[in-house]
Amino acid sequence: MQTPRTIPVPVPVLRLPRGPDGFSRGFAPDGRRALLRPKATEVGEGTQDPPEFQEQRARAALRERYLRSLLAMVGHPVSFTLHEGVHVTAQFGATDLDVANFYVSQLQTPIGVQAEALLRCSDIISYSFKL
Amino acid sequence: MAMRQTPLTCSGHTRPVVDLAFSGITPYGYFLISACKDGKPMLRQGDTGDWIGTFLGHKGAVWGATLNKDATKAATAAADFTAKVWDAVSGDELMTLAHKHIVKTVDFTQDSNYLLTGGQDKLLRIYDLNKPEAEPKEISGHTSGIKKALWCSEDKQILSADDKTVRLWDHATMTEVKSVNFNMSVSSMEYIPEGEVLVLTYGRTIAFHSAVSLEPIKSFEAPATINSASLHPEKEFLVAGGEDFKLYKYDYNSGEELESYKGHFGPIHCVRFSPDGELYASGSEDGTLRLWQTVVGKTYGLWKCVLPEEDSAELAKPKIGFPETTEEELEEITSENSDSMYSSTPEVKA
Repeated sequence: MQTPRTIPVPVPVLRLPRGPDGFSRGFAPDGRRALLRPKATEVGEGTQDPPEFQEQRARAALRERYLRSLLAMVGHPVSFTLHEGVHVTAQFGATDLDVANFYVSQLQTPIGVQAEALLRCSDIISYSFKL
Repeated sequence: MAMRQTPLTCSGHTRPVVDLAFSGITPYGYFLISACKDGKPMLRQGDTGDWIGTFLGHKGAVWGATLNKDATKAATAAADFTAKVWDAVSGDELMTLAHKHIVKTVDFTQDSNYLLTGGQDKLLRIYDLNKPEAEPKEISGHTSGIKKALWCSEDKQILSADDKTVRLWDHATMTEVKSVNFNMSVSSMEYIPEGEVLVLTYGRTIAFHSAVSLEPIKSFEAPATINSASLHPEKEFLVAGGEDFKLYKYDYNSGEELESYKGHFGPIHCVRFSPDGELYASGSEDGTLRLWQTVVGKTYGLWKCVLPEEDSAELAKPKIGFPETTEEELEEITSENSDSMYSSTPEVKA
């Protein structure tokens, strides 16, 4: 049998270049070159940051708290309230990057126990667990 | 294993990209600025093409854009009869320099103290950036609109190109030192300080001249009209692009055409090598910039070399970019195969 000629493989890429975010002009204050920025003046604004910075700080703090809550849940039994009044409990495993799916094990459903399962975030109304 | 070039498409502009420039290598990497007819020049990270910010303020097409060596300042030349100087870290406008006609070209000196501008009013202007209210020094002599003006010989001289001539001026005396005439319209000019080489394009010709004497060194003919060419920092290769939408790569020493790449959907207006020579960027009528690897298959920036020993599953990951594929097409490909190998993007966010 003849050896087939190698078809050139396209060079793999990690991802495509990021484009404009569509709602701001960019130059993020926390970007790579944040150190080069002049320090914010004390006069006029006092020691307060402009409202956008405050909001961003609050967002960051809340996000960090949420992520830590997810970490704390790992391995614990969690009760989920789903649509149509369905309640299930399971051992929490992990979520994916966008928190769109919850990876759980030993999911107790009305029709039996599922060893491993994926719960769609869009199906979950709320969940709770004891620390 | 033979590898095929995967260009990285940088989208965001809505009109043709007419000029682009790289900064020098800074502690934060190197940066790329693109001038576009939509009036909104953009700053990007040079090795990945990631958008950093858009300089907002011009009221007309931006014809020329440049960064200073450490990418702390940017300058743009526009059809609104102004050149603007920007803070490239914050994106704020620092200065607006009024002209009497469309401004086409801007260039910083090495120390970023002076800005050279040129345009349709046929005058070269030198602005002292430490004294922005002061009148610029003017050099006249061109008989048609200036397309490109560059500092050279450690900012002691100026090179300028109009439609049919390239002229060399002395900065101190503001007088013409030499000039060369061409039969065809000069489409682009690039200055390489190491070796004092001037790269010119006109018609289908890519020509190399001494930047000191303007004497010709060598020239190559391309298969189509060339709009821009760039010489690799180590002078091993040159790349050129033009009216046939293709990018050509030549061996500088032998003149042999090494490669040609399709990918753009319109004529290529500008091509430049990065300061480290690892990639080159092209700007096109199609509104995109594309980044191309100098050594195809090398791991650099967003390109990831996959060794033959690695799992074939690695290659099947959804992040593979295919050449000549637009971003829209790439999303279509990943969604068509969404059942097994490719994970579909979830729509619900936390």
